[in-house]
Amino acid sequence: MRGSRALLRRLLASDHAVLLFAAAYFLALWSITPGLGSSENLRNIFTSMLPLLVLAVGQTFVLITGGIDLSVTAAIPLASVVGGSIMAGDVGLLGGSAFAVPVAVGAMLAVGAGIGLVNGTIIACTRMPAFIVTLTTQMFLGGLAVWYANWYAGRVDFHDLPVGFRAIAQGRIFPAVPTALVAVTLLAMAAHITLARTVLGRWLHAVGGNAKAAAICGVPVRTTVIAAYIASGLCAAAASILYTGRLETASASHGQRVLLDVIAAAVMGGTSLFGGRGSVRGTLFGVLFITILDNTLSFRGLSNFSVLMVKGVVILAAAVLDAARARLAERSI
Amino acid sequence: MKTVVPITLALLLVSGCDNPPSQPKPVIGVAFETLQTPGWVFAFEVLESEIVERKLEMMEAIADGDSNRQFDQVRNMIARKVIGIVIAPKDAKAVIPMLKAANEAGIPIVCYNRPPEKTDTRYCAVVADNYGITRGTVKYMAEVARKSGKKHKAMILIGDLSDLNAIGRRDGFEDEVKEYPDAIEVVARVPTDWNQEKALAGVTSALQAHPDLSFIFTSSDFMLASIASALKSAGKWKKIGEEGHVILGAFDGDETAYEMLVDGYLDADGVQDLRFESEAAVRAVLDMREGKPVPERILDPGFVIHQGNLKEMTPRMWGAHVHARKK
Repeated sequence: MRGSRALLRRLLASDHAVLLFAAAYFLALWSITPGLGSSENLRNIFTSMLPLLVLAVGQTFVLITGGIDLSVTAAIPLASVVGGSIMAGDVGLLGGSAFAVPVAVGAMLAVGAGIGLVNGTIIACTRMPAFIVTLTTQMFLGGLAVWYANWYAGRVDFHDLPVGFRAIAQGRIFPAVPTALVAVTLLAMAAHITLARTVLGRWLHAVGGNAKAAAICGVPVRTTVIAAYIASGLCAAAASILYTGRLETASASHGQRVLLDVIAAAVMGGTSLFGGRGSVRGTLFGVLFITILDNTLSFRGLSNFSVLMVKGVVILAAAVLDAARARLAERSI
Repeated sequence: MKTVVPITLALLLVSGCDNPPSQPKPVIGVAFETLQTPGWVFAFEVLESEIVERKLEMMEAIADGDSNRQFDQVRNMIARKVIGIVIAPKDAKAVIPMLKAANEAGIPIVCYNRPPEKTDTRYCAVVADNYGITRGTVKYMAEVARKSGKKHKAMILIGDLSDLNAIGRRDGFEDEVKEYPDAIEVVARVPTDWNQEKALAGVTSALQAHPDLSFIFTSSDFMLASIASALKSAGKWKKIGEEGHVILGAFDGDETAYEMLVDGYLDADGVQDLRFESEAAVRAVLDMREGKPVPERILDPGFVIHQGNLKEMTPRMWGAHVHARKK
């Protein structure tokens, strides 16, 4: 009994718990679901998880500081239509030009960073709850995306995107290696190094752990919080590039329903909703689990309602697990 | 050991070992954007019964309005090696990469009710003649308006303009009302994005700006409830023949429209023959699989049901069948 409690405690505290759950779950279903373990389906799982991973990495930065960023689901479509208005072949400002793609990508990233800067500045300077600030920016930016697309082109999406842009999401560097996989891997590695090996990473954890104590120790709390939201905004813009390239359409309706998956993935991976704890590696495992869950339920042809109910239960379990981990961590101090 | 076990499990995950395929029945994938309205629910049910009747299995996927999710669902269907896909896409352009993916896998794909934008991919689209049916509906309404002897201020509720159906219905409305400049003046064009709340807000604002508005066409029956609510608040929810009746027309043929026709609030409704569309979609998938020639577009001519032919057309209206099932 004592042994099994200790095992449970170790499992709960382990960074690899989610990966083990994901593997066990997948292996269990693999034996009873034809085609689930095929190379094609595994490729689907890994390519599906890329945009979610990018978003979840950005959200991890914010959650570590004790905040939350709800505006990502509006940053994605806004960045998408801004990019589309620059590079679309029929109506884009630089449509057909050799500079269309780099300028459009730059603009999309600038939109993301700008949104992060605004969110971070308001939260850091006014000390308003991040939930309220990012919820209101989400509403504003969602409307802005539709307004901008209608004002610019009289419609809510842009087509005829350059081949070079589409190649970011659809192309391959080597025959078996998607460009998007390389880009997301580099982004995740940069994020991991930042969180685990740099002063900024330590500041983020310190602010999330105890902002007052961090300030006393000389951590620039406001700058750190702003940096976290800029990271989240940049990641939202990067996800927008992937969504837009995949569907060959810049749209004011991209990415509107991913928020719960993003937060669930980060939390399942060990990032605490209460701040002070989180890692890119854990988020990767959380994203893998959420993607596998989605894939397997869809693969088995479950009705949409069943899928939503199962995911709801899983996400609730993730939140309960997070609370249990936080209590465990307190007891072990 | 702490790292070996998870790495081993992760490697197992990516090893790509395959199960021997052992599906008892061939599977048709059905990927819908939404099941939010009675029309989509009815269409889905008919598709399911068509598939089951042919001793096949259905793999369902609902994207909840998310094109990216729909793309993942289509790719799952391809990985599962379905024999065909019926897709009701969210976006006419965003569906093209999904058509390409199905083409590359050699899987026949049929667009249900919503055609894609111009593309050189191989597909079949089963669609209603949105333009023609709407013109017929609005023609009946306009004749009623002309017979009244006065000029009516008119409003149209427009759907999501990334949906070619919405564009066809809008164009049908605009082209028909142009024929009646003496009887109709369009004063409000409400964009709804197929959203009930936006419809309610838009109709309420239009009624405030034009209190004498007396001619409304909605691009889908599912917004009739919002229109009724707004008209009731404005004291304008009157039956045909009552003073102040607002000439009302809609499109789809759902149960709400049927009840409003019977109760005398709705003047005319353009009806999509969803049973025809569902049967045609499944037949097209199977014909394409067998290599038979299938046209790129199969048109559902639909029909208009109005106060003048209600008894005769009721048996063909799918909303009437849904209504009868509940009794």
